[in-house]
Amino acid sequence: MEEKILLKEGIDIDLKGRGGDTPPAEPNINEYDFFVLEEALNLDREEIIEQIKEAYLKGRGGAGFPTGLKWEMALAEEAEQKYMICNADEAETGTFKDRYLLENVPFKVLEGIIIGAYAIGAEQAYIYMRGEYARPRNVFSKAIEEAYKQGLLGEDILGSGFNLELRLIKGAGAYICGEETALLNSIEGKRGRSRTKPPYPIQKGLFDQPTAVNNVETLASCREIIRIGAKEYKSLGTKESRGTKLVCLSGDIWKPGVYEVEFGQVTIKEIVEEYGGGTRDDAQLKFIIPGGASTSILPAEKLDIPYCYETLAQAGSSVGSGAIIVVDDSHNLFDLMVTVSRFFMDETCGTCFPCKEGNRQVNHILNKVADKGGFSKEEVEIVKSIGRTIYLSARCGLGQTSLNFIYSILKNYPDEVLLGGDKHGKD
Amino acid sequence: MGDVSFLERLHNLQDTYGYIPEKEIVSLAEEYDVPKAKIFGVISFYSMLYTEPTGKFIVRVCDSLSCYLNESDDLVRAVKDYLGIGHGETTEDKRFTLEVVECLGYCGEGPVMMINDKVYTYVSEKKALNILSNCL
Ligand SMILES: Cc1cc2nc3c(=O)[nH]c(=O)nc-3n(C[C@H](O)[C@H](O)[C@H](O)COP(=O)(O)O)c2cc1C
Ligand code: SF4
Ligand code: FES
Repeated sequence: MEEKILLKEGIDIDLKGRGGDTPPAEPNINEYDFFVLEEALNLDREEIIEQIKEAYLKGRGGAGFPTGLKWEMALAEEAEQKYMICNADEAETGTFKDRYLLENVPFKVLEGIIIGAYAIGAEQAYIYMRGEYARPRNVFSKAIEEAYKQGLLGEDILGSGFNLELRLIKGAGAYICGEETALLNSIEGKRGRSRTKPPYPIQKGLFDQPTAVNNVETLASCREIIRIGAKEYKSLGTKESRGTKLVCLSGDIWKPGVYEVEFGQVTIKEIVEEYGGGTRDDAQLKFIIPGGASTSILPAEKLDIPYCYETLAQAGSSVGSGAIIVVDDSHNLFDLMVTVSRFFMDETCGTCFPCKEGNRQVNHILNKVADKGGFSKEEVEIVKSIGRTIYLSARCGLGQTSLNFIYSILKNYPDEVLLGGDKHGKD
Repeated sequence: MGDVSFLERLHNLQDTYGYIPEKEIVSLAEEYDVPKAKIFGVISFYSMLYTEPTGKFIVRVCDSLSCYLNESDDLVRAVKDYLGIGHGETTEDKRFTLEVVECLGYCGEGPVMMINDKVYTYVSEKKALNILSNCL
């Protein structure tokens, strides 16, 4: 598989993009230089956090919370035991960037975890990886094992006096476990149901101790920030979106894969057309989903905007996990809605009744609508009202975002989804 | 239960037996001093843990959006036809259990099929039948 390195010349963040690949060889620890880790362990905890804060890094797991701030709060907590957790549960439809990192640059991720743990003062870390990721699990387990042998984990890491134990926890097939509080319950050996917040994991996380949960890409990016320095990192991107982001391209596209883009420097259209090679065959681009199946769609005519947090928010959607799913005009919109809605029906954890029941009902309505080829006005109203109820009562992001796709289709394509007589009656 | 090793123990039992038998649930319940139903509740929460025997090969076919755009519905149909079973069912000879699942994290290479721990990508119908016929 050809390698697609897409960073502009002179910008080398080392999280190179590569398309639809199975990596050729397992990374070898002896060929990897842990100098960034060494450098980090020579800094004070506060200095590391200062760097991450100055770089304005936002969490890459979907919610976009500032990482430096999270670490600062975690460091400030007083507790016997603190935990650092790397969230490798990656299961948002369209997302496969964390797998790319775990398989191709596991030592960068490892450095990120150790740096994060050191910064917040945690001596125990976990990486929670989805159960289906067998190969990444093998690669990363081996990385952990070798790191112990080389004194990069365990006691007195690289002579710094810092001790850290790291353990891999294998998930068991539940999308909700990517949500940080559900993840904590799962590590504790319970059902992976989300907890009410507050308290946040920073205050009361794993076993009620202060816990920082960070995404794989976030931690790998922290490593890069320490490597190139916050000043250089924050010179990339835009005011609200510093640095780079791994984008996963999939769907109706010639060259799917993981690409690294500098925020604000390319438009979504360019990502789709130049990196992804455009839509396949003779089909026309209909819309894209910018951040995984829980984000709102953007129709083809609105893609001429730079890729970053600000513009996507203005356009009514979100960077999400970075999963850009490209959809051409050859599909039946109802079938797509049924497919997305089934995901949320299957994956709700069932704690909040409206999320559980509402998503089931919406799926039922959509199946009916698909059969008859359109929504009645009443059905639109029912879906909207179910959506409001779910949104208001949902404990976590799954419920809150579960109808974004459906809503945005209804909003953008009323003429295509409403039944004949009802087309013009829509608000 | 309240223990980071608990999930791992469930995985180990799953790997040993191919499911988690009642007798193990009973002994876990005793060891952790919790009702049996509680252990059962944890197991049933996770889709990769089973309380009933499965087929020797668990076939998981992704039907989430990115794969759907790459005709995973045809793949699902072909696999169902070939095995003669539906989602969640096991063939009579106990060779295959079929699960139509949500995103497996290989969305750029769809359609995607997993058999036990192995992932197959760009799976055409022909390729799928070929792979399945080699599962002995
Ligand atoms: C339903 C749901 C699933 C999630 N899945 C993931 C996931 O697989 N990986 C991830 O890093 N974050 C996931 N998140 C976000 C986490 O809750 C959390 O915000 C994130 O791990 C924090 O790390 P970050 O700040 O580095 O992004 C999910 C959130 C929700 C609501
Ligand atoms: S919103 Fe849905 S997924 Fe989230 S906690 Fe409630 S029921 Fe579970
Ligand atoms: S949508 Fe099928 S692997 Fe992600």
